[in-house]
Amino acid sequence: MPFPGPFDGRSTGNEREMDGYRRLNRKCILSMYIGHALSYLILIAVFALARIYAQEILDPYTEPALYVFMGVLAIVLVYVVVAPPVFYARYRYRITADRIDVRSGVLVLRHILVPIERVHQVEISRGPINSILGLAEVTITTAGGVATLNYLEVEEAERVAELLNSLVGRMLKERIPAIPAQIGSPGD
Amino acid sequence: MRGMNVPDERIRCHPSVIVEKSLSATAILALSVAWFGGAVVAAILAAAFVALVLFNYWQWRKTTIRFNETGVVVERDTLFKMKKTLPYSKIASVNITRGIINRVFRTSRLLININSGSSATVPEAVLTFRQDMAERIRSGMGQRLYDQGPAPGEAEAIGSPATFSPMDVIIHGLFSVSTYQTVSGFAFLAYSVYQLLPSAGAGLAADGKALISLLMFFVVLLAPSVSLIFHYYNYRVYRRGDTIYLQHGLIRTYRTSFDVSRINAIRVKRTLAARLMHRSCIEVEVVGLAAGSGESLRPVLCLLKDDATQQRLLRELVPEFVYEADPERQPPGAKSVLLLRAAVASLALTAVMAYPSLWVYRETATMGGLAGSLLPLALPLATALAVLVIFYATSVSYRITGFDAGSDLFTFVNGAVDRETVVMNYDRVQMVRITRGPVARLFGVARGRVYLLSSTGGTSISSGYFSGSRLGVIGETVLERIASGEYDWRKNSI
Repeated sequence: MPFPGPFDGRSTGNEREMDGYRRLNRKCILSMYIGHALSYLILIAVFALARIYAQEILDPYTEPALYVFMGVLAIVLVYVVVAPPVFYARYRYRITADRIDVRSGVLVLRHILVPIERVHQVEISRGPINSILGLAEVTITTAGGVATLNYLEVEEAERVAELLNSLVGRMLKERIPAIPAQIGSPGD
Repeated sequence: MRGMNVPDERIRCHPSVIVEKSLSATAILALSVAWFGGAVVAAILAAAFVALVLFNYWQWRKTTIRFNETGVVVERDTLFKMKKTLPYSKIASVNITRGIINRVFRTSRLLININSGSSATVPEAVLTFRQDMAERIRSGMGQRLYDQGPAPGEAEAIGSPATFSPMDVIIHGLFSVSTYQTVSGFAFLAYSVYQLLPSAGAGLAADGKALISLLMFFVVLLAPSVSLIFHYYNYRVYRRGDTIYLQHGLIRTYRTSFDVSRINAIRVKRTLAARLMHRSCIEVEVVGLAAGSGESLRPVLCLLKDDATQQRLLRELVPEFVYEADPERQPPGAKSVLLLRAAVASLALTAVMAYPSLWVYRETATMGGLAGSLLPLALPLATALAVLVIFYATSVSYRITGFDAGSDLFTFVNGAVDRETVVMNYDRVQMVRITRGPVARLFGVARGRVYLLSSTGGTSISSGYFSGSRLGVIGETVLERIASGEYDWRKNSI
């Protein structure tokens, strides 16, 4: 059952909506590239340190070990370059009155389904790169695990959090008449 | 409330908690004195010890507990003030444990757990009382929580649906640990014996490698098995109304009770050794049962018993989790994925073993006799055997893995060597994740992962390879049950 409003999946002229699912802002690609580049720089620094100090530890296997490391660096580089656009192209999310539905993945595709009824907590967070780019992530906590909506625009993240809070709040309000009875009865 | 104190009366824990809390520090201080020596150090540490005892005494004196009409209130009026209220409506279980110190002082520890995922592994309150008082409080709280509960002493008279002899406990301790653990444990033992025998014959001191290997055998297999035997000694389980009661323990004793509605899933487990003996055990995923002492937090409803008894216990103790399941097998696409995975694992293993095999071959080829003809081929043969085992396990896994979606419950069957049947309640599913890797996509299959709240916080249970739409049924059923009102939040909310 689609939730009435901007998240019902009906086209509102926004090209980012598709099959009831919403897509991310293209800025997510830039954010991922920056994040990946920083991680890759750390990896290169480790490689440089390994070249300097590995001689004593790995001898006589220093050379093959460094070749393996370079192979890993090459594979990671390909992933760093290819992953962001693929991630962007595949990422979809949909929030309806009863569920949060996220489809994502680069190599491994994931489809996560969280019933709204199970949502305990909604949190918006922003790292330094996402802050610069005006992006945020929404973490949805259930009693059994956590689902995350990544790289949302800040306004979108706040709208999503507000929507989820209102859906959960509405559900709890519907239950209020039953709560005093529950408190009165032992054994619950 | 039967057996409980006057409502709102403030009581304190038994003074033995001062000794209990100071004891570990005493050991550390004694070690420090022994290590550093010197009268000055000893005097400083003695002063620190006195200060600690006084602090613990002060904390004990200023901590009070009230059992009022709506919940348990634990209040501490020291520099760091604390007031903790545990409403009866949120308490999942009230358990009793007795350790050595408790036995000396004739006390019991009352562990109160609420349905919290974030602190699922730690009880919300640990209160030490005189043994009879703890029993009375537990019984009174049992009345409040479950609307019934055996009075102290009455529990002994209630018949258990099955008896567990000391031999059953020993068998459970030895054979309920995973086969991988058993195999690696015995491999370490065999290696240490192999190392020790020649040294003993030659009258040499035991080799260091042998001792390390023996230690590994102890850590990997012997200690967990012995710990299980001690933990489940005198095991007893029974159900009264909607409450399940467990009692066990040799040195530390446990008395646990929980409402059946708190059970999220049932696991029927069969290790390889257990299957050879036609035995199986039942574990339950239940929220709020932290024992807070490091032992396995997942309660056991049936130790390794013959399959018929295990099935009978399942029906008698948790009929809510019994249904006519007919697990479907994985589609042919799954076989291709599993075989491809086995091939990749075999290739990786062969690549890793190539160099050591060549090295061993070069080193031993010149040896004479039986060793000279066997040792050069030992590693290649072992690798070939491991590859065969990988493919055999893959074929068994394909045959065994199953999935069944009933109307109220659903089942995953997993495992090639150690097998596990997990029956889950849709109403307890918190989240569903369906994953399709590149190879799985090629063959049109996916894997499902179901997230539940468990005794250890969150847990997830994975399925085998099935079509994505088939696994999607789980999430859809969860949502349908919420929409149709079949899901009763009063019974299932956390």
